[in-house]
Amino acid sequence: MLSAEVRRLADWQRDGELAGNFAAVPALLAGMPDTDIALAGHLLSRVDPDEVDARAVTVAITGHGTVAGLVAPLTGEFARHGLLPRPVVGGFDSYVSDLGDPDGELRRCGAELTLCLLDPMVVFDELPSPWTAAHVWEALTRKLDLVERLAAGFADGGSGTLVLNTLPLPRTFAVQLLDRRSRAELGALWREGNARLLRLVADHDAVEVVDLDPLLADGVPAVDERMARYAKVNLSPALLARYAREVGHLARRATGKTRKCLVLDLDDTLWGGVLSEDGPEGIAVGGSRHGEAFVAFQHVVRQIGAQGVLLAVASKNDEGPVLDVLRRHPDMALREADFVRIAASWDPKHQVLRKLADALGIGLDSLVFVDDNATECGLVGQELPEVAVVRVTAEPALHCAALLRDDWFGLDAVTDADTARTALYRDESRRADFREHFDVVEDYLAELGVRIRVGAVRDREVDRVSQITLRTNQFNLTTTRLRPDEVRALSTAPGSSVVVIDSADRFGDNGLVGAFFLRRRGDRVDIDNFLLSCRVFARGIEQAGLATVLRQARDSGATAVFGHYEPTAKNGRFRHFYRDNGFVAVSDGVFRHDLADIAPPPHHVLVTTDPGGTG
Amino acid sequence: MNDIDELVELVRDLLGLPASAVDARTELGSLPGWDSVHLLRLLTVLEQRTGRDIPLPDLLDVSTVEDVYRMAVTA
Repeated sequence: MLSAEVRRLADWQRDGELAGNFAAVPALLAGMPDTDIALAGHLLSRVDPDEVDARAVTVAITGHGTVAGLVAPLTGEFARHGLLPRPVVGGFDSYVSDLGDPDGELRRCGAELTLCLLDPMVVFDELPSPWTAAHVWEALTRKLDLVERLAAGFADGGSGTLVLNTLPLPRTFAVQLLDRRSRAELGALWREGNARLLRLVADHDAVEVVDLDPLLADGVPAVDERMARYAKVNLSPALLARYAREVGHLARRATGKTRKCLVLDLDDTLWGGVLSEDGPEGIAVGGSRHGEAFVAFQHVVRQIGAQGVLLAVASKNDEGPVLDVLRRHPDMALREADFVRIAASWDPKHQVLRKLADALGIGLDSLVFVDDNATECGLVGQELPEVAVVRVTAEPALHCAALLRDDWFGLDAVTDADTARTALYRDESRRADFREHFDVVEDYLAELGVRIRVGAVRDREVDRVSQITLRTNQFNLTTTRLRPDEVRALSTAPGSSVVVIDSADRFGDNGLVGAFFLRRRGDRVDIDNFLLSCRVFARGIEQAGLATVLRQARDSGATAVFGHYEPTAKNGRFRHFYRDNGFVAVSDGVFRHDLADIAPPPHHVLVTTDPGGTG
Repeated sequence: MNDIDELVELVRDLLGLPASAVDARTELGSLPGWDSVHLLRLLTVLEQRTGRDIPLPDLLDVSTVEDVYRMAVTA
């Protein structure tokens, strides 16, 4: 009646073991039918986020109709990503006061996400009886003016992100207009309204709009008439479940859990057949209906890779024939240069993935692994629960949908660093090879020729700085995630500045790799956060950057600099960073440098500075 | 929906309650945390499992698990 997975959760709940077993919940949810996710969420919504190793995300929920029903599916979808919502639910149809009152509960609860669930009744509840397309236009315009004002007010004074959504147009309304022109007019003006909503994303970094049309196009009903009539749940439970999934993706992005690397199996995943048995001429790539489906999948992978996602291969094959296909097969859309690492070997895949993550300097929780083989998928899921496993089937036409189902790689913005990322990481593997020639780290660093530039953030660098705050988990000393508008605000606020580090070496340009968030109060400077991309640790860049900031603080008349550290599951390796660099602990997580004796930058790092760094 | 025990078990599983907490006579409104959202969830599940349409306004008026069962099998 219920799936085995959801019954397992119910058993845990009954026995008081749900919190204790929370680490196993994402895997359980991954194997659960979609219809049971909300039921699972229901059970999970009674878990206190403080009791489990889950990141709690405060979510304010308001809207036009009854919105309390969103809590269960949201909880299920969040838990799939190791997150738990702390819901703060507004009153029935109270979105105007909930959003408009800066002192109200919803605006003051510190929500990272504020959901304002809009539905078609926002407009249709306002119509006279009988109504015309002109009435709809008038009501729609009035409501959108209102929503735009609320969004602007939120973006101005609020923290976190406001999540709106487009309005579905149910057929039951469209066909109440009988003549062809009015019907077409209604369709056109409705979409103009939705376009206005979607454009709010470009206007405000703090506003997201979930486009419901693509979800409806998957065959989800917009409205459940009885739920709408009797319970004022104006969007169908099925659509709310899909909406909750999209919000789960937004939460994952906002908490820095976006995946960075797509690891692909080859046989029956990227091409049809088994290379070691069928040979390069025998595998299906192009040339047949079956082969064309694999080529189409390759194009989707390439599309994702071109926007900054690292692509890698983990295949049980000999390396020679694999490289041969990637270099010479006439119908392959993906080529050797599209991949940052090609691991073709007979080692177990969980070992291959672990090695890959080490070589690239990224966490296992940054990987998405795609394979058609149930055993491989099961083994990786069991050995490396942090890795997201996408199992594709024997039907290659369904590969694209399987890969894209969970929007693993959605970003706030694609920056220059994204489009160049594969080359940057390939340089990194060449550095790793170069490093093997030296016995002593100092010799390696001296030959590496590291150069950094330290200076105030420039406007075109703001997106990249925001991205570093979102993507960096290890060298992120206080783990404050910031949107571009928040970075920009900190770079211009009085007494506040954002200083960035660019780096390069003999193997190439690393681009913008680090940032300091500084605050000046009289003769005291606080380093509210210091971040460095994991690609460039341990080359003296962190010491050189810090030395530069300390010198600039002293030169500008400061008498002390305070460094802050807040522990997370990921940044423990750097908990002694300030202590090891001349700071003295003054309280829990706060370190003070008196600027009397500033260590010079490591001699192998060449530092240049832009003026005006410390603000 | 084959028998009422199955429904009792469903209600229990929906809320993750121990076996002793729910039987056929249990008033749904008396269960800890039970609200109209749960009732709607129950409706969806019942309809999915029985393949029948159940009149929602009537379901909103019932009180015990037994009442729900009677409605689900006679709808």
